[in-house]
Amino acid sequence: MMELDIEEWLRYPKIDMHCHVWNLANEQEEQVSSEQLILSGEMLGITEFWCSSPIIGGLIASVEAVREENNTILRAIKRHPQHIRGMCFVIPGHYQMALDEINRCLDSGMIGIKLYNQYRINDPAVFPVIELAIERKVPILEHAGYLHAREDLDSQPLISHGEHFAEVSARYPEAMLIHAHIGGGGDWEHTVSAMRHGSPNLYCDVSGSNLDDGQVEWAVAEMGAESVLFGTDGTMTGSVGKVIDATLTEEDKSLIFWKNAERILAAQGARPTQPREVVA
Amino acid sequence: MNFFDLNAWLGVWPFRSLRDNTPQTLLARLQRAGIKAAAVSQIEAALHRNVQPANEKLAEAVEPFEKQLIPMATINPRFPGWEEHLRRCNEVLGMKGVRLFPVYHDFAADGIEARRVVGACAERGLIVVMPHRLEDARQRHWMDPGQTLDLNQVANLIEAVPGVTIAVTNARGIMGSALWQRQELRKKNWVFDLSLAEVHYVLHKDVNRMRELADFIDEGGADHLVFGTHTPFSYPSAARVKAAVLPVEPETLKKICWGRANQLMRLEMPE
Repeated sequence: MMELDIEEWLRYPKIDMHCHVWNLANEQEEQVSSEQLILSGEMLGITEFWCSSPIIGGLIASVEAVREENNTILRAIKRHPQHIRGMCFVIPGHYQMALDEINRCLDSGMIGIKLYNQYRINDPAVFPVIELAIERKVPILEHAGYLHAREDLDSQPLISHGEHFAEVSARYPEAMLIHAHIGGGGDWEHTVSAMRHGSPNLYCDVSGSNLDDGQVEWAVAEMGAESVLFGTDGTMTGSVGKVIDATLTEEDKSLIFWKNAERILAAQGARPTQPREVVA
Repeated sequence: MNFFDLNAWLGVWPFRSLRDNTPQTLLARLQRAGIKAAAVSQIEAALHRNVQPANEKLAEAVEPFEKQLIPMATINPRFPGWEEHLRRCNEVLGMKGVRLFPVYHDFAADGIEARRVVGACAERGLIVVMPHRLEDARQRHWMDPGQTLDLNQVANLIEAVPGVTIAVTNARGIMGSALWQRQELRKKNWVFDLSLAEVHYVLHKDVNRMRELADFIDEGGADHLVFGTHTPFSYPSAARVKAAVLPVEPETLKKICWGRANQLMRLEMPE
């Protein structure tokens, strides 16, 4: 087997479509945090981050609290327009107010929607959000994983997994749905295989702290390289390393690191913040 | 730059099919990631009561690859005759270190069984390696306890046994661990491998805790780091990426990636 050129692969341009910046104590801390994120990305060839600030723990927070999280993202975009893009977090049960918040955020420059574990992706409460995403031609990234240990399910009873995504993908084949972090915990083989017959608009991302060998290849084998996205969810070096190491063609890795995200942006008439040839 | 992997494995994990888990295929996989040599043990020994047949199998399997695959004995201190297993693995089979599995062999990492076996290893000058986890607990099979190694117990063990050398592999949360937070242990002989840690950024709402290994190094922790991959459980190149962005001088990086593990295992392998 030919030795991988790690340094060369680190220079290869990458779009991290699953990351976060947080609503911190003050704007100075937010700036320090986002600057550190960008700095760490520069060492790895990551040119832009699609960020959200979700309310976690299944909490049904107020609309005002949700809006404040999204304002954090808007501040980060304003500070770093070349590196940070926004995914609007909403709680679908807020219904019209959630839809209004999505429109507010998209009109302010965000490029997608982030859902956490307040509702499963196949819950009818989520359908209006999906229909709006179709209308606005933006992706939905939902926190997900096939958990089966009692202690994990107790803490996230409404987490979505591949079977839920497959069901919704059949109902809304035109919706760009992204199963978050197959390396984020849970049985990644199960959740990926459940999506093997999804529409071409059903995606997964490879982020998460689990670096199990074979994970990326499994996603490509089951869903196709056009359906696998590069993300970190904060596992920066691990996520880059797993794609570099995957036994895939260079074209497959190019799709994962860049082209699939570029295609998702193109649907709404957007482009990567930096042209690929400039950063390559 | 040469890389020595302190954290590699051969054999079978019962809950997921692993590839590249034979001596030939593991070596080829590591070499593809630019890694020259590795310390290995049999995975299944972690789940066996009597570990010695797995140790014997390991010694035989790696014999043709003695310059590249360094065998590590698995010892179960709750099994009668573990002292003889240790003696044979070290003196007859030439093993250069020991791996312990408190979670799978069901003993406390700071209990009497651990102290005895670690003390015996210290007398022989053998490094003791303890994986923080073999697999991510969030995907655990119902037959897997799915617990991580208690690092408070490991800190107690280091304090209790004079002359011990401990390596904790496949861990996260290095900065916050008792090994680092207990100042009196900082001069002791222990290391973490970098296989699961992040370097310059982790998700954290405290801006003082968002740099993991970078902060660890800034605070003087570079002497407690070694290179490791957790192959074939994990992708080996992930560790190479971490090493590539470590904020250390070239000489320090050489020690982390090659020299320190060789020194701790008394290997004298030429770089």
